[in-house]
Amino acid sequence: MAKAIITDKLTKVFKDKTAVNAVDISVEENSLVALLGVNGAGKTTTIRMLSGLSKPTSGKATVMDLDVVSSAAQVKALTGISTQDTAVAQNLTVEENLRFMAQIYLDKTEVNSAVEEIISDFGLAQCRKKKAKLLSGGWQRRLSIAMAVIGKPRVLFLDEPTLGLDVLARRELWEEIERLKKNMTIVLTTHYMEEAQELADYIYIMIDGSIAASGTLDELEKQSGRKGLEDVFVSIARGEN
Amino acid sequence: MNRAIVFAKRNLIEMSRDTLSYIFCAAFPIVMLVIMSLVNESIPKQANMTIFRIDNLAGGIAIFGQTFVMLFTAIGVARDRNGSFLVRLYASPMKGRDFAVGYILPMLAVAIIQVVLAFGASVIVSLVTGDELKILGLIAATAAVLPSAMMFTAIGFLFGTLFNEKSAPGMCSVLISIGSFVGGIWFDVDGTGGVIADISRWTPFYYATKVARSAIHLEFTAENFLWPMAVVIICAGLITALACMAFSGKMRADLA
Repeated sequence: MAKAIITDKLTKVFKDKTAVNAVDISVEENSLVALLGVNGAGKTTTIRMLSGLSKPTSGKATVMDLDVVSSAAQVKALTGISTQDTAVAQNLTVEENLRFMAQIYLDKTEVNSAVEEIISDFGLAQCRKKKAKLLSGGWQRRLSIAMAVIGKPRVLFLDEPTLGLDVLARRELWEEIERLKKNMTIVLTTHYMEEAQELADYIYIMIDGSIAASGTLDELEKQSGRKGLEDVFVSIARGEN
Repeated sequence: MNRAIVFAKRNLIEMSRDTLSYIFCAAFPIVMLVIMSLVNESIPKQANMTIFRIDNLAGGIAIFGQTFVMLFTAIGVARDRNGSFLVRLYASPMKGRDFAVGYILPMLAVAIIQVVLAFGASVIVSLVTGDELKILGLIAATAAVLPSAMMFTAIGFLFGTLFNEKSAPGMCSVLISIGSFVGGIWFDVDGTGGVIADISRWTPFYYATKVARSAIHLEFTAENFLWPMAVVIICAGLITALACMAFSGKMRADLA
């Protein structure tokens, strides 16, 4: 299967701290890969580098065969990102937010149909005329992801998409993400084990900026001799293997 | 569609939905215009103080209003920088110039609307007080204050880039106070003379006010209009260049 993302010893150093240390990742097209780790493990820094938001200190990364540094503009046109914090224009309505992003990414002739399609797909019809700041946290997050998707990206980066959401809102977003992964490659960062277990085709566990383990859930369970992702993660994080 | 225009539209909508922008950009300068006109009516004619007479006041109020455009530009840029919305746009195909044009263009439009409102209110005041106000002068002044509108918008863009959401409005407030004082909006700088006049002449605010007043009086002499206009245009150009460089620098640093 073709690779959407390949990194080769991807490294990011901030002054005296190595945030990401020689990370090798390979993501198949139209799969969902989870980067799992505690706060400060290097997950966000990794996807910032992959989405052109940060330059690697060393190493290499390609997204859809394009180098993230030398072809940053093309990479940005092919990717979408939903950041940890909800990134919406607060005084714009749901529809205006979506239209704005569609106009940034798409040809003029595609804008209207893309907006209607996303509103329908994300179930945003009942709040399309509502200002973003009046939406609940869960709906704002849903809008934020819809804005990341409206440009029809080949690769979607979701940085802790369900952080701070209640159980119901989280479940609803999982369903959206499940649906999205049929059409695009998704890289998701999370520190919710059940989220990675539910959604990911492949999991990378990051500890202190490095990949400590990787594989499907079955493979990780076999490697660690533990059952369930949470126990697998704890044993790897504590260096029990 | 041109991304800069798309971004400019978004910024204009965001501002148009903020009630405070109506209060400060439209209502407050007009309230000041009315108050100062009342003050003018209270000053004995023998005092021969004409600074608050409507033909002088209208130009000053136009420049005073532009200082609030500066404030709202700074707030808008700083607020975007503070949140994740700009990060999303950094990850999009938008370029540095799209951001600069997108922030400056809508505020220029707001500045023009504001000047038209202030001059419209000035006409009403002149009809009430009976003081002469040349309509042709107001039309000329509307065009003449565009460079100063650019200058104040660029200062707002610069402050929004350099300072955060909390400190940018504070810095702008300081400049609004200083600018309106040394700009000679509330007193006759040339008539006062001394150190304060010397300080005023080292700031572009003095020249901005002079351009507006001279245009209203249809005095297009080198001393009262052309030279002050040249100073304002040069300052507007320099500050715009500086603001764009600062924003590009911040953007590069954020993407490092």
